[in-house]
Amino acid sequence: MSLKLVNFIIVLSISVFMLIGILGIIAPAFHYLPAIGANEISLDPWKELFLAPEFISSIILTLISGVTATFLSLMIAFSVVAAFYDSKILSIFRKSLAPILAIPHAAIAIGLLFLLSPSGWLIRLFTTFERPPNWITIQDPYTLSLIFALVVKETPYLIFVILACLPQLKTDETLKVGRSMGYNVATIWQKILLPMIYPLIRLPVFIVLAFSLTVVDLALIIGPNTPSTFAVTIFRWFKDADLNERFSASAGAVFLMLFIFVIFIIWELAYRLLYFCSKKKLTTGNRSNLSQSFFQLLGSLYFFILISVILSSIILLLWSFAKRWRFPDILPSTWSFRNIERNITLLNDLSFNTLTIAISSNIIALIISLALLEAKRQQSCKKTLFDRLIYLPILLPQVGFLFGIQILFIKSGISGHFLSVIILHVFYTLPYVYLTLHSPYLAFNQNYLVQACALTHKPYKSFLQIKLAMLKAPIFSAFAIGFSVSIAQYLPTLIAGNGLINTLTTEAVTLASSGERKLVSLLALIQAFFPLIVFMLAIWLPKVWTPARLALKHYLYMRFSDSHSYTIKN
Amino acid sequence: MVTYIMKKLFALSMLAISVNSVYASDWQSILDEAKGQTVHFNAWGGAENINDYIEWAGNNIQEKYGVTLKQIKLVDTADAIGRVLAEKAAGNENDGSIDLIWLNGENFRSLKDNNFLYGPFSTTLPNYRYIDEASNKSLTLDFGTPVDGMEAPWGKAQVIFIHDTEILPNPPRSMPELLAYAKANPGRITYPEPPQFLGTTFLKQALYELIEDKELLSQPVENVDFKTVTKPLWTYLNELHPVTWRSGTTYPASSEEMIRLLDDQEIDLAFSFDTSAASVQISKGNLSDTVRSYIFDEGTISNTHFLAIPYNSTATAGAQVVANYFLSPEAQLKKQDSEVWGDLTVLSYEKLEKEQQALFDAQERGMATLTLDNLSNSIPEPHSSWVKALENEWRLRYAN
Repeated sequence: MSLKLVNFIIVLSISVFMLIGILGIIAPAFHYLPAIGANEISLDPWKELFLAPEFISSIILTLISGVTATFLSLMIAFSVVAAFYDSKILSIFRKSLAPILAIPHAAIAIGLLFLLSPSGWLIRLFTTFERPPNWITIQDPYTLSLIFALVVKETPYLIFVILACLPQLKTDETLKVGRSMGYNVATIWQKILLPMIYPLIRLPVFIVLAFSLTVVDLALIIGPNTPSTFAVTIFRWFKDADLNERFSASAGAVFLMLFIFVIFIIWELAYRLLYFCSKKKLTTGNRSNLSQSFFQLLGSLYFFILISVILSSIILLLWSFAKRWRFPDILPSTWSFRNIERNITLLNDLSFNTLTIAISSNIIALIISLALLEAKRQQSCKKTLFDRLIYLPILLPQVGFLFGIQILFIKSGISGHFLSVIILHVFYTLPYVYLTLHSPYLAFNQNYLVQACALTHKPYKSFLQIKLAMLKAPIFSAFAIGFSVSIAQYLPTLIAGNGLINTLTTEAVTLASSGERKLVSLLALIQAFFPLIVFMLAIWLPKVWTPARLALKHYLYMRFSDSHSYTIKN
Repeated sequence: MVTYIMKKLFALSMLAISVNSVYASDWQSILDEAKGQTVHFNAWGGAENINDYIEWAGNNIQEKYGVTLKQIKLVDTADAIGRVLAEKAAGNENDGSIDLIWLNGENFRSLKDNNFLYGPFSTTLPNYRYIDEASNKSLTLDFGTPVDGMEAPWGKAQVIFIHDTEILPNPPRSMPELLAYAKANPGRITYPEPPQFLGTTFLKQALYELIEDKELLSQPVENVDFKTVTKPLWTYLNELHPVTWRSGTTYPASSEEMIRLLDDQEIDLAFSFDTSAASVQISKGNLSDTVRSYIFDEGTISNTHFLAIPYNSTATAGAQVVANYFLSPEAQLKKQDSEVWGDLTVLSYEKLEKEQQALFDAQERGMATLTLDNLSNSIPEPHSSWVKALENEWRLRYAN
């Protein structure tokens, strides 16, 4: 009963919050913004939007880059798992996931930019040009470099998500049984495991799709700019000094939202169609209609992703300590620590703010997620209202939505306080935490808990010590992902903090516009450092938790009995 | 008759004294009110040296007037405009989060036209006496918008071109020369993407050089035949773009990115609105010491940047104290130091006292910074309505 009430309050407040934000963009989309004297509702913003010279072309760029990047990421992620499941390569790849996920996407983009640009590292390493060639290797009008950056960013996330749900699928047993029936491994993955995995990771796939279609900072750095992708175009309109641009910007934000919904529907329909068409194939009993080398080929593309990220990170590291580094030098010609010395107090303050916000917002998001999921389980896993709502924070283009929310914060007087920043961070991390936890939590075999309750009659204790303890791997994963999402938030921090609360990210993005590679690289490194640690812990802790806990218990017991016996002896 | 004049003069001088003392006592009450206030100064935060200067000023202001200066580092000044708007929308009439904004041009016009500003205040600031309004049109007309005391001058900017003397010993000194150079060296010339302000400034500079009747630019764009007037500009750009950096498929985002590209030797010419940019970047190790700056023969676009106070600020007194300090010879001198910032002073040399003049005379410039004399050839900003018109037309033609 009480859980139901809590559930209701959570869902209600999130709904109201979203409603205010959405009204905040829908109203100006119809020319209603009393603050600047626009009281009359009209369709002019839409007319202006559709007539804007960049409208069609930037929508096309968004579509190409977003969908291609998501599809490629998904294919590579599946292939990596299917091709290397039994091999050592997967454990190497698995170790690579945390660092890649931890590095904020803006930092990766900055690294890639220097790797791939005509004056970049690859050209310096492999050519003998005296001056950089006039090539278009980045920010290309075909969005290839943007797609590459998105794939680098998203593939590790999808592999992470797939690996997190494998234990629920009894993968090893399935493979064993399949093999004993004469199927080759690739076919087992293709026919049995992948169709089981996809429904479990559908939500994360949609997150990836939405991110790729609406990302601003990544597209600003490495995407095309004449025209830019649609999200960047709207972003520019919102920032225009001419306040009237806000109307068509709002209309654009609403349009982008609808656009994403349509893409989702098409994506899902395409999947169903594919599934329907291949149903016959799946059940023909053919033991080897797909060769392992197909997965291996696609999966090995991940090597390129890995190498790119490693090189990009090395570049960030080199720039952090460089004083002078010109073309065609392969390494900096002079080095300096001045970069770090000068900024040490700043870095301290920023780190404190960043960590306070990330940790508190994620603990809240975790508690809310667990409450909602437990309530959902009790209603026999029926799709709840929240399951539909949870998409919205990710779908709503941040620039538009946050403008509506900004007014709410100012009216309630918490603008510029930690509270409002944390609220917005909960809002943006909650979907990731909830969706990451969703499938593993509901797939949990409840019999363990039932048995525990039957044995101890302590439902709360059993819930904590049996269910949550058994689910600690997905819980830690969810926290780690939420943490890195929180660290990477730029616009929500800026708008809720009203510029009064700065984090590593707000500072990094502020300076990114200055084109100062050295300081930006340093900030990006530090910004990546915290999530990196948390990700490592998320992978390492569940493995050692129980042995460590038992060892500690044993140690304490020994200590206690030692001193006890010592006392007795005396 | 003489006595009449004497009387009149006496009366006038009495009036002047009393006005002065009214100002003085007003200013004293502003100083009293300001004590203990915190001024949230919303200023673009993309340059470390500027942030350091603001911090330096903040320490002095704290010491002298007991006012705390807190810089809110903006990525884009328009963000602050948006925040004032959001506060207005939320009915926040007297508890605003912004007390002072660094701005000019479009942003100023936007705030002023919407009645989002406190004032007039600037002409009654004690240090305004060092300003000679007649010396530069941009002190009273901010991109064609009358200042009317609603913002206090802070600094002067002028476009400079930056080149590496080792790679480009004889840089182009006019728009036609620039085009000729680009044709001979494809891929080595570019400019920031409008609506980035320096990109738009490049369009204004080109337009100014390419048209006959330059007076047209000081009029609102609605009053001229935009298509005909700007035709030479688009013809020029159509010729230039195929031979620009990355064949015109993409453009740098800012002056800072251009400077980086110059150092990477991807391009041969960068430009900046900051006259000391080249020296500052050399000393930071971001450019080689063979880099120098120069301006075009016909001059380059120049403007003034200002400080304004939003109508709902909670610290209008403190904000005025800060604006006044930033206008002081002490602060202006420090600001013009190219080791610090290198932003040109708005004060009139003639109106300064002897010792102050001596300090300005003694100031060292960076190795790549032009003298005030070298910079004397300046072009005024066109009326601010040109900005939007040029940007829209540019995007219509080249951004889709």
